[in-house]
Amino acid sequence: MPRLRLPKATLALPAWVWLLAFFAAPVALIIWYSFGYKPGIFGTHANDILSLDRYAEALSPTFFTTFANTLWVGVAGTVLCLIIGMPVAYWMAVKVPVARRGLLIAAIMIPFWTNFLVRTIGWQIILSPQGWLSQGLQGLGLIDGPLEILYSRTAVLIGVVYNYLPLMILPLFVAFDRVGEPLREASKDLGAGRLQTFLRVTIPLARPGIIAGLLLVYIPLMGDYITATVLGGAKGNMAGQMVAAQFQTAQNWALGSAMAVVLILTILLSAAILGLVIWLASLPFRSHYRLRLGADA
Amino acid sequence: MSDTETRRIALERTAQDPSSPAVPAKARRSVSDRLFMIWGIAVLLFLFAPILVILVYSFNTGRLLIAFDGFGLDPFLTILNKPAIQNAVSVSIRSGVLSALFATAIGTLAGVAMARRPGKWVGWFLAVLVLVTVTPEIVDAVSLLPWVVFLGQDLGLTIFNDGIFRLIVGNSLFSIAVVSYIVRARLVGISESLEEASADLYAPPLRTFWRITLPLAMPAVLAGGLLSFTLSLDNTIISSFVSVSGTTPWPVYVLSAVRSGLRPEIASVSTLMLILTLLALVLVAWVLKRSGDSATQIARTMAGS
Repeated sequence: MPRLRLPKATLALPAWVWLLAFFAAPVALIIWYSFGYKPGIFGTHANDILSLDRYAEALSPTFFTTFANTLWVGVAGTVLCLIIGMPVAYWMAVKVPVARRGLLIAAIMIPFWTNFLVRTIGWQIILSPQGWLSQGLQGLGLIDGPLEILYSRTAVLIGVVYNYLPLMILPLFVAFDRVGEPLREASKDLGAGRLQTFLRVTIPLARPGIIAGLLLVYIPLMGDYITATVLGGAKGNMAGQMVAAQFQTAQNWALGSAMAVVLILTILLSAAILGLVIWLASLPFRSHYRLRLGADA
Repeated sequence: MSDTETRRIALERTAQDPSSPAVPAKARRSVSDRLFMIWGIAVLLFLFAPILVILVYSFNTGRLLIAFDGFGLDPFLTILNKPAIQNAVSVSIRSGVLSALFATAIGTLAGVAMARRPGKWVGWFLAVLVLVTVTPEIVDAVSLLPWVVFLGQDLGLTIFNDGIFRLIVGNSLFSIAVVSYIVRARLVGISESLEEASADLYAPPLRTFWRITLPLAMPAVLAGGLLSFTLSLDNTIISSFVSVSGTTPWPVYVLSAVRSGLRPEIASVSTLMLILTLLALVLVAWVLKRSGDSATQIARTMAGS
């Protein structure tokens, strides 16, 4: 009996169709809208005359400031996550006994799985001028008046570092864990100091995890909307809020679409630059011999 | 000494820090070890701070969430008299369960296909999944809104005017990607020999899928399903764009309360929802652990990498 040979991707067909219909098609639609314009007060978009004018508008000084601000928060937030997260991941993977690691991973992940909006509201309570932190710092004499952080860029920065830190710690932990004790011991036996071992053995071997962590934090952070809405106020404006405002309040879908496209391009371009910088920075530490860790490294 | 006891001692020995026998090294390391520990615990406190605040403030008897007045169960009782809140939570749970079932079904099929029918197409499919994962949610949100309005009103496909269905569409994108990753990762690590044996014994492909492939993938399927449930419960941005009045999910209710004024019962409901999410996650970890994954593998699975 001849077996019926279905094409290889048949089982994936429903997912293909669904993602094309509700991811690719709508994104293509807003790319199309971004070449149009807003006709009059009541229309949201029109495409009978095509132009790049909406892109010029999206990059005009009024809105460009917001893109620049978003980029600043994105880069600063990602760097802070790396600085704060790396020692934690190293501690979990190297210093903590194996038996206790599962508990620590769970502890890192619980906040990550709590409602994003609700934990951001938690920070709104903590940072409020009448809050315990403000009163405590005043009581200790560290600040003169009430804490004036809420609704500023600093508050947004604290919020995004908090919200995306677990996304940095987890891949770093997996990467450090994979390097393993024997290689570090070998490096020490061959006369390398602890810092040298870290820079020349641990970091180069953990590089895929470091890159994964940087991307996992940077990409969602750049598109952030909730943290900026809850903690930002007017000064902490991020590109995500600006896009949303064009669709929800200004009803200018053409401009909002152009802003969304600019946001995606900014993320892709800056992630590429980040990758180039990491590659250049790692050149001095390149070893002559490549070591592959496991099949999936 | 009995055999089991020997094994127990061997296990204990491997569980200890392998470097511990070197006594001078231990003394030399203790300062930096302690610094690492202090830093780690400080970061854990930082991660838990706002959650503890929400837990405490969910017992706030005052009128506004942000001003703590007294300690009591009042906000929890207020929930009983607020049909809008009950409706929002119910919408969230219903759309979350349906999204999870749907995303798990088609994500599992895609994951199985990627692991068992590899080819050039897998590269393209993974590229689409990566695009779905890296596109900021706000972009998905603003692009889905005109799309569902177009399908529902201009093309007259009335199902797209249904609130729950719109939420399922919005929740599904990220969930499908996560389930596909997890199922693929599990099956890639398992040899195809059982499926080949089943085919050699004349089982038709569908039976092999039901009796062999699916049971092998089951821990990943369950983990993926529960993860998509929690992701859907959490989905705020896309939901706030596509939801229609009357079927407002819980996070969108909270987001509108951020603008109009937060009251303590928001924290109380969040506390209850936190407990629900934790139960789901404990279930995921338990399922993964029973199937023999280590803590590291569980972390990797849950981080979706």
